[in-house]
Amino acid sequence: MIEYIIKIKRNIRPVWRDRWVWVMAWRDARHNFSRLFLLVASLITGIAAVVSIGSLNYSLQETLDQNAKELLGADLVINSNKEFEKKIISILDTAKLTTAGDAEMASMVMFMNTRQSRLVKLTALYGDFPFYGKLETQPANAYDLMKSGRYAMLDESLARQFEISSEDSIKVGTTIFKVAGIVTKIPGGGALTSTLAPSVYIAMQSLDSTGLVQFGSRVNYRLFVKTKDNAETEKTINTIKPITKKLGYSYETVERRKEGLGRSFGSVYQFFSLLAFVALILGCIGVASSIHIYAREKRDEVAVLRCIGSSGWQAFNIYFIQVFFLGLLGSLLGAVAGAGIQKVIPLIFKNFIPVELPFAISWEAVAEGLLLGALVSVLFAILPLVAIRFVPPLAVLRADFAPASVFSKMRWTAIILILLFPVLTAAYQTKSWLTGLAFAMGLALALVFLALVAMGLLKLVRRFFPKNARFVFRHALSNLYRPNNQTQVLMITIGLGGFIIATLNIIQNSLLGQVEFTGNKNQSNTILFDIQPSQKAGIIKLIEDHHLPVNQVVPIVTCRIQELKGRKVEALQADTANRVPSWALTREYRVTYRDSLHRSEEIIKGEIHSYKPGQKDSVWVTLSEGMQESLLVDVGDSLVFDIQGVPLRVRISGIRKVEWPKDPPNFIFVFPTGVIDKAPQIWVATTRVGDVSEANRFQQELVMTYPNVSLVDLRLILSTVENLFRKISIVIKFLALFSIITGLVVLAGAVVNSKFIRIKENVLLRTIGARTRQIMQITLIEYAYLGLFSALTGMILSLAGGWALCRFFFEVALGVAWVDLFLVGGAVMLLTVFIGWLNSREVISTPPLQILRKEG
Amino acid sequence: MAEILLAAEDLTKAYRSGDKELVVLDHVTFTVEQGSRLAIIGPSGSGKTTLLGLCAGLDVPTKGTVSLMGFKLNAMDEDDRAFLRNQYTGFIFQNFQLLATLTAIENVMVPLELRGERNVQPKAKELLTRVGLGDRLHHYPSQLSGGEQQRVAIARAFITSPKILFADEPTGNLDEDNAKQIIDLLFGINGEEKTTIVIVTHNLELAQKTDRILQMKGGKIVDERRL
Repeated sequence: MIEYIIKIKRNIRPVWRDRWVWVMAWRDARHNFSRLFLLVASLITGIAAVVSIGSLNYSLQETLDQNAKELLGADLVINSNKEFEKKIISILDTAKLTTAGDAEMASMVMFMNTRQSRLVKLTALYGDFPFYGKLETQPANAYDLMKSGRYAMLDESLARQFEISSEDSIKVGTTIFKVAGIVTKIPGGGALTSTLAPSVYIAMQSLDSTGLVQFGSRVNYRLFVKTKDNAETEKTINTIKPITKKLGYSYETVERRKEGLGRSFGSVYQFFSLLAFVALILGCIGVASSIHIYAREKRDEVAVLRCIGSSGWQAFNIYFIQVFFLGLLGSLLGAVAGAGIQKVIPLIFKNFIPVELPFAISWEAVAEGLLLGALVSVLFAILPLVAIRFVPPLAVLRADFAPASVFSKMRWTAIILILLFPVLTAAYQTKSWLTGLAFAMGLALALVFLALVAMGLLKLVRRFFPKNARFVFRHALSNLYRPNNQTQVLMITIGLGGFIIATLNIIQNSLLGQVEFTGNKNQSNTILFDIQPSQKAGIIKLIEDHHLPVNQVVPIVTCRIQELKGRKVEALQADTANRVPSWALTREYRVTYRDSLHRSEEIIKGEIHSYKPGQKDSVWVTLSEGMQESLLVDVGDSLVFDIQGVPLRVRISGIRKVEWPKDPPNFIFVFPTGVIDKAPQIWVATTRVGDVSEANRFQQELVMTYPNVSLVDLRLILSTVENLFRKISIVIKFLALFSIITGLVVLAGAVVNSKFIRIKENVLLRTIGARTRQIMQITLIEYAYLGLFSALTGMILSLAGGWALCRFFFEVALGVAWVDLFLVGGAVMLLTVFIGWLNSREVISTPPLQILRKEG
Repeated sequence: MAEILLAAEDLTKAYRSGDKELVVLDHVTFTVEQGSRLAIIGPSGSGKTTLLGLCAGLDVPTKGTVSLMGFKLNAMDEDDRAFLRNQYTGFIFQNFQLLATLTAIENVMVPLELRGERNVQPKAKELLTRVGLGDRLHHYPSQLSGGEQQRVAIARAFITSPKILFADEPTGNLDEDNAKQIIDLLFGINGEEKTTIVIVTHNLELAQKTDRILQMKGGKIVDERRL
């Protein structure tokens, strides 16, 4: 009977104390740098994209913040329909905040040169408004002149309409002002979208002399506040909130103004987040695929090491150390490249970016990039590397020996972390858990779909194999399903790369489509108001005679709220528990009537109820989202309006989300047709006028034919918005290019990696007499199959992905540029074939014996 | 009586291929004494290499036990068996199995470095000189001929002064001259080191140099000869 020893004492050294694994890692790496180049390249491009996109995102946010500030002219604007109480002034003074202000009212002015009169919006300014942006005038010193005394400035359109020059004077109230100049651009001009008159500006100290401000005068006051930063703005808001509520003041901040500009800004940031996420995921795919192939190649060597005594962990550590340090190197180089790109962009793009962007390096983005790079190189390398731990030593004797699968805690931990990674990074990038989960699910679905298509394709190829086709076709097709082939991995990688690139293209087009829609094409830039019902047809004809589009012709009826949810306005104001601000209760509302939604609106709650003649139940109106919150009302609540002396009880049938800057005028309350149609009303028409001379001709004929009709030139405001969008669109295109480059690296990597699988067989074919042309044909046909099916699958997926992203994430209409999409698909296929061809060149130019010995 | 270094008891190895079970080793029992030289011969598919793999702890049997140096291999996990191999065994393979990314001397040093030993270069250099490769220390495997690669493998196998050496067709990939040189080298060092040898081979000339031959067929030992 033999005595057995079943325990062995083994000294297990931790990786940092196991000198041998470090030495082996270095010795082995010396000859594998080229094989691991793809790992490093994937990380360099991926992380460079993350860092540069991150930095640009920060820069752009800063610029957009600045622009949004310019649109407001201050950090905080407080509005009131009566003079500001000392209480609020003293709060702002105590906080040592810089303030300025204005007072606005409707007033008639007389142009002394022609003795013509005109209703204008009179703005009396004091302080150093604007705090952000420039008030541009002609001549340049007009603003300073105006501040000095009895001088007035006029909107450009008004001056043009009445042919006013700086030699002329205007009479405002009882005082005559000399014209200091015209205003070509004024921050805070966005407010014009809610008013309907051209402006005349005077200094606040001259306002009293006009005698216009008397008891009962309707004057809107604004207080412009400059703060150090957002935190101070928030702090100030919190301090003044109780007083503003009590006194019926409203306020506006940069953030609110940005929201007011529409969802485009949000979409841009989200698109940046998506770009960074995509670049990162592509980097992950690059890392995983290169390590997967690397680990396969190392199987034989690991088996030898296991045979001569290396433990599974020691073998794993050798390659893990290599990957970890190369990953760090790749991340570092990527971060440096990303930061470098920030410095290079202004030089390359100086002629294309209309407004200066501060291309500052964001150290936050650099740190993020480094951290993500290290994380990606470890996480996505671990799963393929874990296989090394379980390489059986028996593989030295039997190369095809496959051990039974072993449960590995590490493998499962890696799988769970890899599954969580896209969720966590997408959630981090988009600041939303739900979005993170949706992104990850989308990616998983795409992967499953690609895998299914690849499996299905292989089955189809086998089932319908063209037995009578030429040898090269048959061999190329059979290559797809040979044992140990990489068809599925390649199809998934190439298909995923193509899918992501094409989806980005679709999203980019959809977003730019929205930007163009908002900023350019159909946006009205000229509003005609004070049109009497009898003049409506004539005005429309005049617009059409000038070959201009009639974008909107809408009636406006003015009214006030008399009762809210069964309580009189006076009772509500007297109630200390009432939370509805006074300004919302007492303001004059300009409402319209129509039975459909304007293109800037959507119903988010309830519905539109048309009015039927003879109907006995309530009149149903719709209300804008913001005012619903202020008035604290909901669908079904009742209000009584005082429509120029006639009370009208209405109920709320729906709530509308309104994009206020989009194609004004937009309205808080919209009545159904057939209810207030006979009330005293004016009409407003909007159109889009091209250049200045066209505008001049149109305006001159307008004033001659309809002197009572006023015109507001919105181009003043739109130019600011348009500039912003133009800038954004260039940045979007540039950043998308980045992610595409990362995708191409991954794509190239996937095909190059397959070389090591194909090379031996091609050499064998060559050895037994295959001609160069035949090998080349076989390779090209095989890669053409791969490229075609991967690209097709990727494109189909991208349409689904693009639609889902547009619908649920960006909330914009799907805009597919079919030519671009086919170009992307074609490029993916051609690139696959091209790289396959490059691979074959190496096989053909190398003597078969050299490769046989190397591989043997 | 010499100490038993390797004992295989009722070894059976079966693989599943689809629904069928393929028995490649069928109740094999034998022992190997310290300092002896054993050759396992037989036609292709007779189970020689499988038996060698089981004896060296490269795989585990479906049934039966293997004890090496008194250690029961079946009861150990893969890493313990690897440790045991490093401590007591050496290997020579038909296709040399050198690490392609390491030079000749680095390949030879690996088993000792794996033990955590330092300054192993002089010993590796000495062994390589002994096998006639003193001038090719820093060549990579791809720069060496088949015979030279096998000499490096022999140096690597002997650097740990193993108790037992497993060789799988060590001359299978070599021409006649090289094969003869390798056989002489192998048994020369073996004679000096008193290493136990287990060789799987088709080469009868090589088998004749051992002191015992096991003839295998259909997964069983069908003949045993002492020379």
